[in-house]
Amino acid sequence: MKRRQQGILTGMPFMANITPRTFIDDAGRKLYVAKAPARVVSLAPSITEMLFALGLDEQIVGVTDFCNFPVAAKAKAKVGYANPNLESLVALRPELIVAPREFHRANVLAKLEELKIPVLLLEATSVESIFSHIHTLGRIFDRSTEAHAMTAAMRSRMAELTARTEHLARVRVLYVINSQPLITVGPGSYIHQMIGLAGGLNIAAEAKAPYPRLTMETVLKEDPEILLFPRGSVETVSRSEQEAWRRWTTVTAVRESRLREVSADALNRPGPRVMEGLEALARAIHPEAFASEPVPVQP
Amino acid sequence: MTVLSLVACLLALVCLQLGTQYIGVGRILGLFVSLLFGRSVDEQMVDTAGVILFQVRLPRVALGFLVGSCLASVGVALQALLRNPLADPYVLGVSSGAALGVAVAVLFGIGTTVLALSLLPVCGFVGGLVALAVIYRMATTHERLPIHSVLLAGVILNAMFSALIMFITSIMEPNRSFGMMAWLMGSLTAPAFPVLVALSGYLLIGLVLLFKQVRVLNILALGEEPARSLGIDTERVKRFIFLVSALMTGAVVSFSGMIGFIGMIVPHAVRLVLGADHRLLLPASALVGGMFLMVADTIARSLFVPSEVPVGVITALAGGPFFVYVLVWRKDRLA
Repeated sequence: MKRRQQGILTGMPFMANITPRTFIDDAGRKLYVAKAPARVVSLAPSITEMLFALGLDEQIVGVTDFCNFPVAAKAKAKVGYANPNLESLVALRPELIVAPREFHRANVLAKLEELKIPVLLLEATSVESIFSHIHTLGRIFDRSTEAHAMTAAMRSRMAELTARTEHLARVRVLYVINSQPLITVGPGSYIHQMIGLAGGLNIAAEAKAPYPRLTMETVLKEDPEILLFPRGSVETVSRSEQEAWRRWTTVTAVRESRLREVSADALNRPGPRVMEGLEALARAIHPEAFASEPVPVQP
Repeated sequence: MTVLSLVACLLALVCLQLGTQYIGVGRILGLFVSLLFGRSVDEQMVDTAGVILFQVRLPRVALGFLVGSCLASVGVALQALLRNPLADPYVLGVSSGAALGVAVAVLFGIGTTVLALSLLPVCGFVGGLVALAVIYRMATTHERLPIHSVLLAGVILNAMFSALIMFITSIMEPNRSFGMMAWLMGSLTAPAFPVLVALSGYLLIGLVLLFKQVRVLNILALGEEPARSLGIDTERVKRFIFLVSALMTGAVVSFSGMIGFIGMIVPHAVRLVLGADHRLLLPASALVGGMFLMVADTIARSLFVPSEVPVGVITALAGGPFFVYVLVWRKDRLA
């Protein structure tokens, strides 16, 4: 009753049943989490990293096959990835499942709802959305202080990195996720935004999708000055495929031999390590901004 | 046939004009003429138009034509062999077998290149061959085998291979499975010149080998008994055509993913217009299939600039109405 009055008083009756323990996820679904869940399952490596970074080691009971960071994640129960097994999910008795938005499959969600297991769907569309995910998880797990400290540190790192490159001339960049067919990042993806933060200009800025297939003609027309190939524990564009790019001799990046690899493990995961990814990007796009310091040794 | 070839050339010219950037006919002809008069391709790479024309569009239009021709020709051959108008490399599971071969190769990282020749077509060939071997076994039992069981086998094989491909993509690292899915939807990527030459080699040999069988295909289309009574070693012919079909499909799939529809629709449409004589049907289907994919790919790469659409989507969406149109037109003509 009190809640209702509050809503009317603020002039937003539709907000009446939003309490501090009610959360709206990135699919627009509303879920109520009464108290900090004691058991949580993560369905994406980036989510696992966020949960660990918030100090929730004890609470994490299940992760995906691809969760390999931090090392402790490897010891957790695995629940697959693209098609997590509903039974093994339920067997872990989670009080909350945090999943990427792609996981949005109505039948599985309905079943989990029926089983009264709340599912929080997250979608990283910008750097800001990553911060907001950390805050949301912080609130759910009563770790708001840690979450704020973490994002504050990330923000200051971001400010420091962008300050290094923002006075430099923008460099036209093509970020190659897949070579055949050519897939890159476009507006609506956080990596597109990070290329801008790192002092680059994404040549796929006109594309309509977050991960568009780009025509080679566009690449030739926009003439990237740097080709970036994400590379990590699993590379998506093999070295031999990278070499194949060398035949486009009119592309400035090829002519001036600026085919560069960026460490993908941190960059491709919209989680707490994303600023390491930003640094890798900034170093690849503007190495001159880091010329005075030694390159950190990659583990 | 001359008319068709002429139409193909004109269409190719139109396709060369369209894309991210419009390049006029005059400009294209100018570039070609200067190429004929001794200026090398490298010298023409002075502006973007030249580069786009010679390095992207020309190889791509050529590849589209070749892939389309091959799919249509294989369709004609399989339809004659199995005496069923529904047979095509896609329906019989040859395409998905080839795709599975390639997917397995990619999963285990066998996608290395040796002298510009990828091993992927070989893996595709093996996959396609497995599919055709099963169908061949079924089609050569001594008892009478209703043709629809062969097709049913194809459909089941297709489903099985697709399931295995889905399994492979599901256990792949998310970023890699993303690329794999995109490849599966069918796409023509401008190949490097040596690759294009190598692929043309595979495909042209395949086409010539099929063309040599046109008379036999005509006889086989009547049934195996009449063929045998005319002294044709039907088993040998079948094995031969299956092998060639698997080779061509494997090469095509490894380069361009799964492009459905052409192998079934094009031979049909051509047969409705020109009749069932394979001496005419096969070369005409090859030309029409080539033109069809060439045009579909032009649409795929110019519709949503700067992005491109999977060409498999375009062939399926364009092929259906085209097929209906041909059927209706044919009916009018009969009336």
